[in-house]
Amino acid sequence: MTSAPVYLDYAATTPTDPRVAEAMHACLTGEGAFANPSSIHVAGRASAALVARARARLASLLGTDANRITWTSGATEANNLAIAGAAKFRAHRGKHLVTMLTEHKAVTATFAALEKNGFDVTWLRPDADGLLSPAELQAAIREDTQLVSIMHVNNETGVIQDIRQLGAICRERDILFHTDAAQSVGKLPLNLDDLPVDLLSLTAHKFYGPQGIGALYIAERPGCHVLPLTFGGGQERGLRPGTLPVHLIEGIGVAASIAAGQMQEDLQHVASLRQQLCSGLGDIPHLVRNDAPNNTYPGILNVSAAGVEGESLMLGLEPVCAASGSACNSTSGESSYVLRAHGLDDALAQSAVRFSFGRMTSSADIDRALERYQWAVNHLRAIAPIVNANPCNASP
Amino acid sequence: MLLPEPYNETVRACFHDAAHAGELSRDYPQKCASAVAESAQGAQIALAAGIDAGIVREMRFRVWGCPHLIAATEWLCGQLESGPAAAMENFPLQEIMRQLSVPVEKTGRILLLEDALKSLTRQWSRTD
Repeated sequence: MTSAPVYLDYAATTPTDPRVAEAMHACLTGEGAFANPSSIHVAGRASAALVARARARLASLLGTDANRITWTSGATEANNLAIAGAAKFRAHRGKHLVTMLTEHKAVTATFAALEKNGFDVTWLRPDADGLLSPAELQAAIREDTQLVSIMHVNNETGVIQDIRQLGAICRERDILFHTDAAQSVGKLPLNLDDLPVDLLSLTAHKFYGPQGIGALYIAERPGCHVLPLTFGGGQERGLRPGTLPVHLIEGIGVAASIAAGQMQEDLQHVASLRQQLCSGLGDIPHLVRNDAPNNTYPGILNVSAAGVEGESLMLGLEPVCAASGSACNSTSGESSYVLRAHGLDDALAQSAVRFSFGRMTSSADIDRALERYQWAVNHLRAIAPIVNANPCNASP
Repeated sequence: MLLPEPYNETVRACFHDAAHAGELSRDYPQKCASAVAESAQGAQIALAAGIDAGIVREMRFRVWGCPHLIAATEWLCGQLESGPAAAMENFPLQEIMRQLSVPVEKTGRILLLEDALKSLTRQWSRTD
């Protein structure tokens, strides 16, 4: 690759905001808050104060109290702790759990593990727009249902679920409602004091913070608790033991503060970039947008190109860094299970590209992506056998 | 340090400049064509050769598949064009795997190209 990369994979991870990096760096020096925050000496107390400040900053972003936040290594761990921890805590009441086929693997794999350990899981399918209807959830709930987990913003499509309505259905029935909000925290307004959400997972590196730090929000209400999955020194009220990484926690705290301060600006920026991208894509025939027209986070645009092979499309896109709907370079060539659950056929699902962008993306980046995408789609259609060159007969 | 490049320079060059993609540009004393498809990955290959006096005057292809398959087909067409038609009887599997650094797990896709060439050669043999 000779050209500079154009990074449009913000849903995978965002670049760290320079202000976050600067604050983290200060922690790592001899003069910084590097000490173990569990230590009672003055240096430890300085670190503990910094951890408390970061917890308060994140809580403020989420509209909740700082004591509701448990640090984790990221959203995967938070999802595991929320789902497995809550399911085990409430197992004496019942063993029925509900989730969706379109969840992130950190969620689906946790439910699959619980299924192997005697829990009964109902896997809900979205409609063609990727949305879960409240009626569908209501129909799935049983007397012994203890936990429902529905993600807020889908990581592949950007589709936003109505967690207020879905959570309310659970709250009415005293069922715990968990949401994986890795793609929405810091990007969309959330006020947990006003939402029927019991458990919420997040990670810093999706909103310009560092990789390796996340959190689980646990609401304060009767019956809402999780059992720990790991054991050790009792940190985080015994829910997630282990020495706290102060520099990472400082990073997530600063990232949360920045997000709270410029969320509207960020949203307007990505909405404008999305408009530019959609407008340019409109010139290319036989594209399918994989989202919900009025319920999609604007920083993610997932599009399939009929008649185009996914791995070749990714090579043609270079130097644009986007995500593919297929497992490139694998023998399986397996297409995205999320898009398959949306109802896309295998050919369209494996031709999907997820463009995701954010704070540091420029209009010139979108222009470059459009130029490369248009070239790649036209090139691959031009060399395809006639049956594929006509996307109306695109399925290989 | 970056992970190893999945595609070498030959693959990139053949992929981006697929000069032999398309249809035969004119009529020839001998023309043969083949088309093969693979169900697992959905790959498809169509080959066409224009032959005159035992020489492959023009080789053309169409492909739906991964970059290695596209590049292998372009490379093969370049190798066969302007050479004796009899050369079509020998599919250079090892040479393709080596020149294009094809990952071993993609061997099946290259064998699909061999099927396409065999089918083309059978037609040529019948008409020769």
